Amino acid sequence: MISELSPALIQSNSPGIRVLKQILRNRSAQMGGILLLILIFFSYAAPLFTDKDPNKTEPSLALKPPSLEFPMGTDGIGRDNFTRFLYGGRLSLRVGLIGITIGALIGITLGLISGYFGGWLDSFVSWFTDVLMAFPDILLALAIIAILGPGITNAMLAIGIAFVPSFMRLTRSSVLSLREMTYIEAARSLGSSDARILIRHILPNSIRTLLVLITLGIGSSILAGAALNFLGLGAQPPTPEWGAMLNAGMKFVRQAWWLTVFPGAGIFLAVLSINLIGDAISDAVAGTSITPDKKQHPFTAQ
Amino acid sequence: MVNYLVRRIFTSILVLFGVSVLVFSVIHLVPGDVTMAILGRQKVSPEKVAELRAQLGLNDPLYVQYGRYLNKALHGDLGVSIRNYLPVSKSIAEQMPSTFALAMSALALALSIGGILGLLAALRHGTWFDTLVMGLSVSGLSIPTFWMGLLLILLFSVKLGLFPSISNGSSPAELFLPALTLGLPEAAVVARMVRASMLDVLSKEYIITARAKGLPERLVILKHALRNALIPVVTFVGLQMAYLLGGATIVETMFARQGIGRLAVQSIFNRDYPMVQGVVLVTATIYVLINTLTDITYVFLNPKIRLK
Repeated sequence: MISELSPALIQSNSPGIRVLKQILRNRSAQMGGILLLILIFFSYAAPLFTDKDPNKTEPSLALKPPSLEFPMGTDGIGRDNFTRFLYGGRLSLRVGLIGITIGALIGITLGLISGYFGGWLDSFVSWFTDVLMAFPDILLALAIIAILGPGITNAMLAIGIAFVPSFMRLTRSSVLSLREMTYIEAARSLGSSDARILIRHILPNSIRTLLVLITLGIGSSILAGAALNFLGLGAQPPTPEWGAMLNAGMKFVRQAWWLTVFPGAGIFLAVLSINLIGDAISDAVAGTSITPDKKQHPFTAQ
Repeated sequence: MVNYLVRRIFTSILVLFGVSVLVFSVIHLVPGDVTMAILGRQKVSPEKVAELRAQLGLNDPLYVQYGRYLNKALHGDLGVSIRNYLPVSKSIAEQMPSTFALAMSALALALSIGGILGLLAALRHGTWFDTLVMGLSVSGLSIPTFWMGLLLILLFSVKLGLFPSISNGSSPAELFLPALTLGLPEAAVVARMVRASMLDVLSKEYIITARAKGLPERLVILKHALRNALIPVVTFVGLQMAYLLGGATIVETMFARQGIGRLAVQSIFNRDYPMVQGVVLVTATIYVLINTLTDITYVFLNPKIRLK
């Protein structure tokens, strides 16, 4: 019963709903949300829009420009680009989602433990994340793929691990500030176990900041996945995937623009939709409005 | 101050130590036997396998192997490629200038395009221009590097025939498209930062003072506001090297350019582990050094930290 009285819960109810309402009212979040739903719907309901097989080759129909029969043209071995685009979206979106889930699960757990318990454990975990962060961007993912070998599962794992440091750091710093709060002390003095304090009190209060990283992270994770696939280190042919399709289309960049423009647009729109939502969440969590407020900066209004 | 410097340098050394351990481990973390991974399914004699094991130094205890690896690496010896038998450090040294030229031109483009757009957006805060720049910025952050590169190739190379789509050299014409591809997403970040930082500075009291004493607006902006607004941007530049070095992988592959990024990708396909290890180690070391220097420069620039 005590936990119901804890500031954590009193705080999290109404502002949570207020934040949600603010996000739903946000114009760019609405646009992003609709765009994302359309993309998800089109790729998962692909059989509704096409009756073709994404992997069926038909050499006599190779490199046909977009037409009524083939809305996005055909590729070098006569596969329907539109069908491949629809099915390819499934994988591209999934890579992003799974990658970020792996990164968030490991990173948040490490951050909670290392921030809460401190000591040598904290020093070690912090050092380890520093080491991981010393590998620029995609290079860490490349190193992991060098170890595990190319493939879509390994690509997801590599992206996940590459995201661990940011989640770990953010969670840790949030735990450090919450750890000393009176209500945590109260929970501890009432005999709550460490695990209970971490999961019931600290995690819910860190979730707002983490939410921003998770949303924007899905976008970067889709981008990173597409990049690995583009480099040929992820999905292997003939699996349709936007990044891999783009890579294959590179060979025909002079003859067949449709092979590169459409899959790229898919990635771009997916990431854009998520970034729009992420921006709105970040604004809502920060408690500022996204609509430009001229009054805030009186000297720049002219 | 001295305390801080010592601590900061010590942290970097610890991180570099971790990096070296991790990079060293690459070859041991390969599932199964690494020699099998390298030789693949080809039928090879046990002698050949033994030879490869000896070449990779796999017969000694792990700590001996690591000690040897570290000692050699500190002396600039990163081993020998198992594909073309060339020294890894030599290959990297050959490819580095190309990547460096690409990263620097991309950075220059990003700072000039992003800086100007961000500044103008801040000065026209709340107008359609501001909204446009912010919209472009979100798009710039969402666009896959390789897709933008393709669109640039389609426009400038295929349609207009202005720049080559495959470009290996470092002449401005050959560097333009790759640098633009790498630099535009960066410009989006710079524009956001400059805008936010300018808006912050413009609401400060010393700007009100500067205006109140009748300084021309041009001087207020350039001399008082912009200078201060650029401090966070400058420190940010160091951090961005990570993005540039990582992004070079894609851009180099795309434009079939020489460079360490492309070298890394090709070595992964070739299962040339010493080469992968070398590229990763060198890149991460450069990155750590840049970050350390950035932090130290920041302390020198910022009196608030310096006086502590």
